Amino acid sequence: MSRWVIKGIRTGIKTTTYPRGTESAPGTTPGLPGSGAPDSEAAQALVEICPTGVFTVAGGELVADVRGCIHCLRCVRLTHQPANWQAGSFEWAAETVPVNKLPGAFKKSVHICVVDTGDCGACLNEVRQLNNPYYNMHRLGLFITPTPRHADILLIVGPGTDHMRYALQKIYAAMPSPKRVVAAGACALSGGVFAGSFTCSEGIGETMPVDVEIPGCPPPPLAILHGLLVAAGRRPPAGSPATTAKTETPGTA
Amino acid sequence: MINLTDQIEERWGGKAQAGFNVINSAWEVTCSQTALVEICEWIFADLDFSFATLVVEEEADEWRLRYIFYGGSNGWVHVLASSPRSEQTFPSIVGPVHAADWHEREAEDMFGLNFEGHPRLGDFILHDDAWQEGVEPMRHQFDPQMALLYRKPVEDWRPRRIVQEPGAFIMPVGPKYSGVAESAQFLLETVGEDVIRFSPRLYYKWRAVEKLAEGKTADEVLLLAERFAATTAFAHGLAFCQAVEKICGAKVPQRARALRVFLAELERLRQHTGQVQAICESTALVVADSQSGILEEDLLRISGELAGHRYLFGLLAPGGLTTDLSDQACQHALERSREALAGLDELETQLRVSSSFLDRLEEVGFVPTGTALDYGLLGPVARAAAVTDDLRRKQPYLGYDLFQFEVPSEREGDGYARLRVLFSECRQSVLIMGQALAALAEGRVREPVRFHAGAALGYVEAPRGGAFHWVRLDEGGRVLRYHITSPSFVNWHGFHLAVENFAFQDFPIMLASFYLSVAENDR
Amino acid sequence: MMDALMLIIIFLGLCGAGVLLSLLAPPARQGSVLAWTGCPAALALVLAGGAALLAGDTFSQALWSLPGLSTLTLSLDPVSAPFLVVTGLVLFPASIFAASELNREPGRGGSAKRLLPFSFSYHKRAFTVMLLGLYAAIGLIFVAGDVLLFMLAWEVMSILAYLLIVSLSSGEKDGAGAGYLLLAMGEAGTLAAVVGFLLMAAGAGSLDFGAIHAAAPGFSNGLKWSVFLLSFFGFGVKAGLLPVNFWLPRAYVAASRAFVPVLAGATLNLGLYGIMRVNAGLMPATSAGPGLIALVIGALTALIGILYATIDKDLKLVLAHSSIENAGIVIAGFGAGMVFVATSHPVPAAIAFMASIYHLINHSLYKTLLFFGAGVVETGTGIRNINKLGGLIKWMPWTAAAFLAGALAISALPPLNGFVSEWLTLQTLLRAADLSSAAEKLSFALAGAGLALTAALAVTCFVRTFAMSFLGMRRTRENQPVQEAKMGALAPMFILAVLCLGLGVLPTYVISALSPATTQLAGASAADALVPPFFSSNPEHSQLPAGFVQDFHNLGAQVGQSLLPGRGLVVLHRGGEDNPVVFAMSTSYMAVVLIILLGATFVVTRVWLTRRRRLLRRKRWDGGMRRLLPEMTYTATGFSNPVRVIFDAVFRPTTVEDTRETVSRHFRTAILRERDRTYLADKLVFRPARAALLKVARALAYLHQGKLNAYAAYALFALLAVLVVYLIQTS
Repeated sequence: MSRWVIKGIRTGIKTTTYPRGTESAPGTTPGLPGSGAPDSEAAQALVEICPTGVFTVAGGELVADVRGCIHCLRCVRLTHQPANWQAGSFEWAAETVPVNKLPGAFKKSVHICVVDTGDCGACLNEVRQLNNPYYNMHRLGLFITPTPRHADILLIVGPGTDHMRYALQKIYAAMPSPKRVVAAGACALSGGVFAGSFTCSEGIGETMPVDVEIPGCPPPPLAILHGLLVAAGRRPPAGSPATTAKTETPGTA
Repeated sequence: MINLTDQIEERWGGKAQAGFNVINSAWEVTCSQTALVEICEWIFADLDFSFATLVVEEEADEWRLRYIFYGGSNGWVHVLASSPRSEQTFPSIVGPVHAADWHEREAEDMFGLNFEGHPRLGDFILHDDAWQEGVEPMRHQFDPQMALLYRKPVEDWRPRRIVQEPGAFIMPVGPKYSGVAESAQFLLETVGEDVIRFSPRLYYKWRAVEKLAEGKTADEVLLLAERFAATTAFAHGLAFCQAVEKICGAKVPQRARALRVFLAELERLRQHTGQVQAICESTALVVADSQSGILEEDLLRISGELAGHRYLFGLLAPGGLTTDLSDQACQHALERSREALAGLDELETQLRVSSSFLDRLEEVGFVPTGTALDYGLLGPVARAAAVTDDLRRKQPYLGYDLFQFEVPSEREGDGYARLRVLFSECRQSVLIMGQALAALAEGRVREPVRFHAGAALGYVEAPRGGAFHWVRLDEGGRVLRYHITSPSFVNWHGFHLAVENFAFQDFPIMLASFYLSVAENDR
Repeated sequence: MMDALMLIIIFLGLCGAGVLLSLLAPPARQGSVLAWTGCPAALALVLAGGAALLAGDTFSQALWSLPGLSTLTLSLDPVSAPFLVVTGLVLFPASIFAASELNREPGRGGSAKRLLPFSFSYHKRAFTVMLLGLYAAIGLIFVAGDVLLFMLAWEVMSILAYLLIVSLSSGEKDGAGAGYLLLAMGEAGTLAAVVGFLLMAAGAGSLDFGAIHAAAPGFSNGLKWSVFLLSFFGFGVKAGLLPVNFWLPRAYVAASRAFVPVLAGATLNLGLYGIMRVNAGLMPATSAGPGLIALVIGALTALIGILYATIDKDLKLVLAHSSIENAGIVIAGFGAGMVFVATSHPVPAAIAFMASIYHLINHSLYKTLLFFGAGVVETGTGIRNINKLGGLIKWMPWTAAAFLAGALAISALPPLNGFVSEWLTLQTLLRAADLSSAAEKLSFALAGAGLALTAALAVTCFVRTFAMSFLGMRRTRENQPVQEAKMGALAPMFILAVLCLGLGVLPTYVISALSPATTQLAGASAADALVPPFFSSNPEHSQLPAGFVQDFHNLGAQVGQSLLPGRGLVVLHRGGEDNPVVFAMSTSYMAVVLIILLGATFVVTRVWLTRRRRLLRRKRWDGGMRRLLPEMTYTATGFSNPVRVIFDAVFRPTTVEDTRETVSRHFRTAILRERDRTYLADKLVFRPARAALLKVARALAYLHQGKLNAYAAYALFALLAVLVVYLIQTS
């Protein structure tokens, strides 16, 4: 047994400094497409190539709605003028309805019930990574609980399949109030590639109100971590000045 | 390769005839329903072929069933049987070929076909407590809007129980169970200690990918192929691309082929490591859990750095790859993979002497070789039970026959044997990655594909075992029929063998050591 | 104030009157007759016993002498008094319960009943007559002052008990067989006991108990051993001791709902009384051997009894096996007392006898209560199989509450009565330090360990019995309503539940009351040893150091003294100067603390915590499945399966396994498994004995060939043998 202890100590600290600092190790995040294109021709090409309609042209500007992005990377690899790719970013989570003050239940440690509603395995695997030493969510007072009875946050992955819908409603009903719902991954936000299937919904929002949305296919562990912190009111959501500044200057802070 | 024409003529002259299908390089035996069971039994038992999959195709005037078998150097045999649309009935082959059990159940649920002699039809993909009778979603005329009418809870549904012992009860698990787990329900019949009978109720995550694919272009369906089971995204995407390339006669450039091998092995290495972590986690060996978690995340980061995506999405395209990967980047990935492998080797050395860990794995979840063959189990699970099948060896693709590697196998068939196979395969994968990198030629990574109408089977040895994708395209390159048979589908069928007659406290360990994915099965 | 003798005569008179009334009354009135004569009679018993214990009102009254035999004597001494009290306490509610059972049964005119050879009304009358007769016989056994009256009453009791089981049986297939087994086993036991008595009588030259007691010190060792073995295993049959208890579960199952409480609460005590009367009352032990045998047999009986109770699925059988367990505990305590008597440790002996008698009383009370509960459940649902019950608390909340009280008491959880006596028993066994011989110490230690395991298993057993019957989901006929028990069944249960609580929270009073009995048996007062004078009204008598007394004062040990005059509320055994307290506990204060804790919990969770929060009630969490079915909940067999697996070496079941398949071996249509339910005593004692008897019978049958010349040959051989013997003797 002592061999394991020695091994553990020898490994040293692997844990990321996020959210105190930021994480810039290669391969932690695939990035997301951003708005803007050099010219209207390129913009049109991007609108056409995206299989999930992330890009729209509004008022002559190319706008990216990252909720639908499934990380097929075709807008980068199969066009002559690649999209404005935001590599290295991961603070993607957004609140559907801005909340100023959260109930006291979210102040201290937060318990999370993870529900798979047809996930392909990637989102769930990334949630699983949160427990490993690189991310170690426990240090932030975030804990995964198997039963909704103890949960403050419901973390949903997957497109909301037909067979899971009833279970999902039961899980939501079984949670004590106050509760927040976090949808992670393109499928949970918009149905992703499975939108249009007669057994899937186009986002969990069809079944229950969602408070925080984490885009990505799958959202990398850091994005999920950010989403959970947003849900617990400990990090500002994407788009707010604090997260933008952090994304633009990786490696500082 | 055997010549079936004469043998079929000799045995079943008048009832069946054999021809050769060039696209699939497979013998096609077209037979009448009366000879179907005998022919399948002969191919499976006498010629020692393995059962790959059953494909149902709906024609204007008839149902055509394609039973696909494969066997070592003898190649592929497709047994074709048909029935007029009005009949909808086929004889069941589950007597001699038990591996076809779930395939027939699926066909019954999806197409409303009847398999005479199959003892367990119903409550499979469409749950009997959620759907009224009369839904056949894979038929062409199926109207998804009408499905809503059938989608009603059936209150008086009860699971079938077969254990008759005083005090026996069902211990239900799921669909929401455990901390981070894929949704599925397990019904364990027990009297309190040992699981006497295990029956899984899967398809809580059924996304009807095969139905969704119909009418879409190959490029669109590729997104589905990658994303229905993303932990093995590259393998499934590859199987789909190979099917399309076969139909279209596309030639994949040498560089792309080598890169595909490199990436497929990287995925295998990463997914095996993830499974080692799951096994360590299930035995509550915390340091090993953390150590393997670190290695898995390392490999995910290696993949992300190399390919731009941690699960290798968006790399494959029919005809090659969407983007070239530089030799240096590959070399860097290989070196870091070797480091990860060194970590895995160290972990294995330490696990081998951790008696508390071994006690929970050894002689747990035992599957004997004979039963593994009957169920047609695939991948590391089968190889741990001395079934040394590996599509990379048995039916080489992507030039795997040119690489030097071993197919590891163990004899015990228990959880520990499965863990050892995973470790050995990780070593082999890194070996193959090195050879693939050495075989990296200069040149393009993608050739344009000109679509033809036709159908073909794409197959790969995915991390969990053989995956078979049947694709039928029309002239415009749209998918008419897409059928996925994943290794998890096959291994879930046999999982009950590992669970039964063991204490249910060991259930999580068996689940982890059996290397299953619900997403891969549920599609 | 009536004296005890008068009360006994009233008791016998009421029983007789009841029998007469029953013979005259119509069948529909039998219940009333039983209740209105049985209850006062029971009350008379309680008062008589109480008078003897509290007021020292004992008597010995010679009735009439039988020429050539002896004088029949009625006698009440402090040893029989507790038995009279507990029998009365059991028979009082049992009479009400049996009356309500009789009233509930359809009277005349049930068409199905007409098919029986005699009408059902006959059964009712016979039942009442025999039950009241049995009451009288039981009472007489306790007040018999000589061997002859004792054995006469005993024989009447045996036969009536047999007839009662057979006459209004619960409809079991083997009801008659169980009755015969009870009779045969009972008679064999009686025979052994009679021989034991006669040996003593021969030694003393008199059948009178007083004379025997006086002569006992002069008995030879061989005689003492013979009497011990004969009486122990003879009366052990009735008491349910190993290895002669295999009749008991069958008889309890066969007995009707109305009668089985009496069987468990009153007749079981007779066997225990017989053992105690002979081995401590008449012939105090002079060597440790018999006591050790009693201790070990008691502990083994308890352990094996609770093991079977824990795995059985029949509610009645669980309770029957648990009766065996409790008898074992009583005998273990008694055996410890015998050892202490033999080794001249009167104080530990008194404590041991106290534990034993206390436990005997407790068992009678809660077991009767639990059998009432089982009867009510069976009446309401028609089911005794715990695996098929479940969820009854929603339908019969009062029954569930009473059953829970009984279950808590029998699980020996404070502050209920079972805790006090089991705690005392275990403390007694820890007193082995006073003993000198290593063998004695070892036996005490092993018996103590066995009883500790028994206590733990008893909790498992009754958690399971209560939870699987009353909690969770209904497993059969989910939506069919179940009738809550009527007042006639609920009242008896609650009387007993209150008694269980009373005996639990006021142990110091009970110990003082029972003290005369142990004083007679052990020669030292248990009350003095356990309820020190310090806690009595007169503090000056305290033999404890003043500082210690002060500490106890400061700790509030005397709170309630002014409220409850006479005694403190702490059971405390004093040691010497260096060890002032050997053991101490107070269920009274535990009860107070428990009430405070429960009240505070309620206040905190329901009042304080929910002041600003909303209380949400949701269905139980079931993993998100569509519908949780009753067959998906734990069964009783499943609950106790770990115990079954661990102790399979003891149970030694034979299992049958079979799998049915279709199409191929991988499609199983049924997995059949069956374990047979034979008991160890059955396997090791009853079956070999029966086999041996049959063998002998067959050998005898071989001689009986029915041929004339064969018999002529036997006669000739016999004649020759006699001649030879005669010649040898005369020569």
